[in-house]
Amino acid sequence: MSERDRENIRRHIETCPACAAEVRDLERLLESADSMGQNMKAALAGIDWDAQAEKIVSAVWNEKVRPQVEPRRERVWLFGPRLKPVLAGLLLGIMVGAAAMFITYRSGVLEKAPAEAFFASNEFLGRIDQEIARREILDYLEKNQYVLLELAQTQTESGDCRLTEAAARETRELLGKKRYLNPQLEKARMSKAKAICDQIELLFYELAQVSENLTPAQCRGIQNMIEEKNILLKIKLLKKELQESEV
Amino acid sequence: MEDNRTTPNEDISTLLKKAGEGDRHAFKDIVSLHQQKVFLLAYSILRNREDALDVVQETFMRLYQKLDTYEKDRNFQAWLLQIAKNLSIDYYRKHYSRRRGMETGKSIEELPLAAEDHASNPESSELRHVISRNLERLGERQRLIFVMKHFNGLEYREIAQVLGISVGTVKSLHFKAVRNLKHWLSPQLGMQP
Repeated sequence: MSERDRENIRRHIETCPACAAEVRDLERLLESADSMGQNMKAALAGIDWDAQAEKIVSAVWNEKVRPQVEPRRERVWLFGPRLKPVLAGLLLGIMVGAAAMFITYRSGVLEKAPAEAFFASNEFLGRIDQEIARREILDYLEKNQYVLLELAQTQTESGDCRLTEAAARETRELLGKKRYLNPQLEKARMSKAKAICDQIELLFYELAQVSENLTPAQCRGIQNMIEEKNILLKIKLLKKELQESEV
Repeated sequence: MEDNRTTPNEDISTLLKKAGEGDRHAFKDIVSLHQQKVFLLAYSILRNREDALDVVQETFMRLYQKLDTYEKDRNFQAWLLQIAKNLSIDYYRKHYSRRRGMETGKSIEELPLAAEDHASNPESSELRHVISRNLERLGERQRLIFVMKHFNGLEYREIAQVLGISVGTVKSLHFKAVRNLKHWLSPQLGMQP
């Protein structure tokens, strides 16, 4: 603060009672604090400082607090003499443990008990085969039904009928699946189901031989075949029968 | 060994040099010259006489260990008080954190104030008492600065060196401490709020 500023403030304080009172209060406070410090110093006389100083110096000298070079730490060797009892104990533990393991293995306590053989009767296994075949055929029929329904309903206004790419792919897959199903159908003695599946197979052969773009005549031919042979109805009835015959 | 006896008025650099060379008396003179200031600072933080005396001893032990690192140009008192302050804070953290506060410690007013003359000026005595009580309410840095300025009689520059902060910050914190004290004391002492 410049001398001029100080002078301005001094003049203001002389004319402003509020500021003058503030300054008085602050001066009182700081004077008291300073006198407190002086009193504190006087009060410290209550402690024997000379004895205190001697005590401190003695502590410093006696405890040799001067920084000293730290004694080099003795290296701890794994096979040093100080660790010999530890190593001996460790070795003894390993030997006792090995002996215990040997005895345990010899006694056969840890050997696994042979699992009990699983026995199932021929009748039970036959029923399982039949059930698997039934489910496979049901799945096969369901997929056929979708493809045939699509084919029966895809007639356009111009008379063209087109097999979608997905349906064509599904047709090929179903033909492959039929070949896999044949032995199962024979094994499970499902003659009725086999007959219907053969008819569908035949239909799909024809479908697979023609291109994706069927001529109206081809389309009508296949649709007629579906209608004449009541394939969709047969599928429906066969599915119902298979569902009811669930094992 | 008596020949090596130093006087308290001897230059501090000389005393430190002699102490560094192992002169016990020189070191005792250093202790005698500064132990009370160290005590006041430690006491202002710990507010327990015995603990503060422990810190005083620890401070001079630390000083002796660090004698070689002392730089001549440095303010010795500020350096010593900085060590004392750090040790006091460490001591406080180590021993007082378990006690949760310093309520067990006595206030500065409770020291055996043999020289205090209550009868001479009752108003002044009351004000000192109230200041002492309200010092507890100040923040740590404000309290330290107030104590160092008024009890230890340090200059702003020296306080800044002890606390490792700028002189401007010291002045600002001192002003805040005074303002806070005045605010708290106003109702009790009929000052302007």
